[in-house]
Amino acid sequence: MYAAFVLLPMLQSVQYSFYDWDGVGPATPAGLENWKAIFTQPELLQSVVHAFVLVFFYTVLPVGLGLVAASFIRELKPGAFSTTARIVLFVPQVLPLVAAGIAWTWMYSSDGLVNQVLRAVGLDRYTRAWLGDFTFALPAVGVIGVWVMLGFCTVLLLAGIGKIDPALYEAARLDGAGRISEFVAVTLPGLRRELVVCTTFTIIAALASFDVVQIATQGGPGYQTMVPGVQIYRLTFLQQHISQASALSVFLAALVLLVIWPIQRLGRQQ
Amino acid sequence: MRTLTQYRGILRAAAGAAAAALLLAACAPGGNSEAGPAPSEPVSIGVGSEPVTLKLLVTSGVDVPLYTALGKLFSAKYSNVTVKVENQDYATLTTTIARTLAGNNVPDLVRVPQLGNLTKDHLLISLDPYAKAYGWDKWPQSQFASTRVAADGRERGTGPLYAAGAGFGLTGVYYSKALAQRIGMTRPPATVAEFEQLLAKAKDAGLQPIMINGKDGGSVYPLQNLVMSYAGDAQAVQDWNYTKPGASIDTEATVKAATTLQRWGEAGYLPADVNDIDQTRAPAEFLKGNGVFFPSGNWQAPGLDKTGSGQFGFFLAPPDVAGGPSYAMTAAANLGIPARSPNADVAAAFLDFVQTDQSARQETVTLGGLVPAGPSDAPVPAAPEGSAVAATVSAFQELLKNNELVGFMADATASIHVNSLVPQTQLLLAGKTTPESFAAKVQSDYERDLGR
Repeated sequence: MYAAFVLLPMLQSVQYSFYDWDGVGPATPAGLENWKAIFTQPELLQSVVHAFVLVFFYTVLPVGLGLVAASFIRELKPGAFSTTARIVLFVPQVLPLVAAGIAWTWMYSSDGLVNQVLRAVGLDRYTRAWLGDFTFALPAVGVIGVWVMLGFCTVLLLAGIGKIDPALYEAARLDGAGRISEFVAVTLPGLRRELVVCTTFTIIAALASFDVVQIATQGGPGYQTMVPGVQIYRLTFLQQHISQASALSVFLAALVLLVIWPIQRLGRQQ
Repeated sequence: MRTLTQYRGILRAAAGAAAAALLLAACAPGGNSEAGPAPSEPVSIGVGSEPVTLKLLVTSGVDVPLYTALGKLFSAKYSNVTVKVENQDYATLTTTIARTLAGNNVPDLVRVPQLGNLTKDHLLISLDPYAKAYGWDKWPQSQFASTRVAADGRERGTGPLYAAGAGFGLTGVYYSKALAQRIGMTRPPATVAEFEQLLAKAKDAGLQPIMINGKDGGSVYPLQNLVMSYAGDAQAVQDWNYTKPGASIDTEATVKAATTLQRWGEAGYLPADVNDIDQTRAPAEFLKGNGVFFPSGNWQAPGLDKTGSGQFGFFLAPPDVAGGPSYAMTAAANLGIPARSPNADVAAAFLDFVQTDQSARQETVTLGGLVPAGPSDAPVPAAPEGSAVAATVSAFQELLKNNELVGFMADATASIHVNSLVPQTQLLLAGKTTPESFAAKVQSDYERDLGR
């Protein structure tokens, strides 16, 4: 089953990338043309760069903030407040990304919630149509990613912290460790596995992002938020250029593996 | 450390993968290049007397009530025919149509969002024999130009006819009658310069001169109109749309049009957040009075009439020189007959019916907001006096008479709209590209799409 539904299509993608094929008619061999295009067409390469910018928003920020949030929630006494905090943080994870995209599109619009808040606090000159702004569109899309990923990271890290032997914290405190050195000496090393899972999951989500961008900006304005996911979709279904899409997909998959691999190794070392 | 057996395992897996890849490479993907060319047996007109179920696959939304109504009218006339309307949303249909038509459960008529590779892969039949049998070849031919595709599967406007439709979309400029009065507009502008004066007056009066959806391509409408106005002729654009060899949009007229559009943006004639307004929000803002003018298509007319009956007018984009030709972008709501359709004759009879039957033509206007073309002497469907629908219908009749229907640049290639025209006009309006590089870039993307 695995071979038929996962491995075979993957190999087929590799194969298609060396042809010129529209998905229905006869295919003609194209050599390395489709691969060359990835590096020579500025829009294709630029979309890959955007995907890495999104890694900052999908991975670095949520994992960083998640660590902070988790270590604060740990110190809260179990009760209504800490439960609410967990739920509020985790809710975005339950929403389909398409719904998140639509909701944020409203919030970002010129008279949407974000600008209303800015106006309310007297920051009128900072209001703008965020998703239509050349400078801020990509970070704005990124913030949606932070919002979605933060809950996942926090809850996972919280669970990890729960598994750390309380004796370690006690020992650290007896040795005179402050809040920060306790975090560095006990919490961080204890969370190694969870951190690896968090980073792996969010990096894949960032590099393979599609739904949020397609819904919120369709890659615009200009080419400002174009990502490989949207490019692949367009190449496949709009242009019926299956072979170019295959080449880009395989390239993207290789990139993901290349980025994930060292992180996985880091997780394995004891 | 890895053991020798582990390495052997890896080697074996790699060898297996390589062998599989080689095996796959030996047989090229694709095939079925002969799904079926034009029907070889002589076509017959009429629907016969056998019971037939005609299956239509159309796009969701406004298509469904329209084709359901047309199907009922057709069944009323031919009692042995049952019309079944199925639908998919536009994006899904675009993405699945080739597979659907190559499959086994094929509809008899399909709404063709884009011809793409459908003709090259022989998935649609040529309608020429039917056009001859039903006399469509005696009608104004500009209505059929956009669905003629040459043998190379690319160049349009020539070659066999592959689709025909109930009605046509067309674009022009809506205006709010009340706001237009406030800025002293007594008649539609006769030239681009006159239109710009009105825009300036609107701006001075503290009104938003133009409402437009720059997020998903609305700004391309005025752009194309300006190109045609400045050229004084639509031939270059039409050749480009139809991918005639050697066609180029990198012209003086395009540069001038892009310059004008950019100037409108800088002057504040377009909304400040133009690149964030989509086609749902633009008409809503226009209805609220946010915008004196709204360049868009006739599909908006029924909605505008519903909310603000009699409040909105419509005119065709003005020419550069007074008295010059007025062009409008049009796109037919096309239906094609799949090569594997079992009821091609009945499907063709339906196509003829929707274009010629008076009550069918009326439904096309009322329910679809689209203008039926058909024979030049066909009576024009009625629309309430002073309504936006009435204005679009009469504008269309004028164009049809003069053969001034021009395809929409967005349809030139499958991706020129999303990958080039939309982002490039956004860059243009944001002042991030020059009119010259705009024209050059659109042209080079076009050539890349066509593999030239």
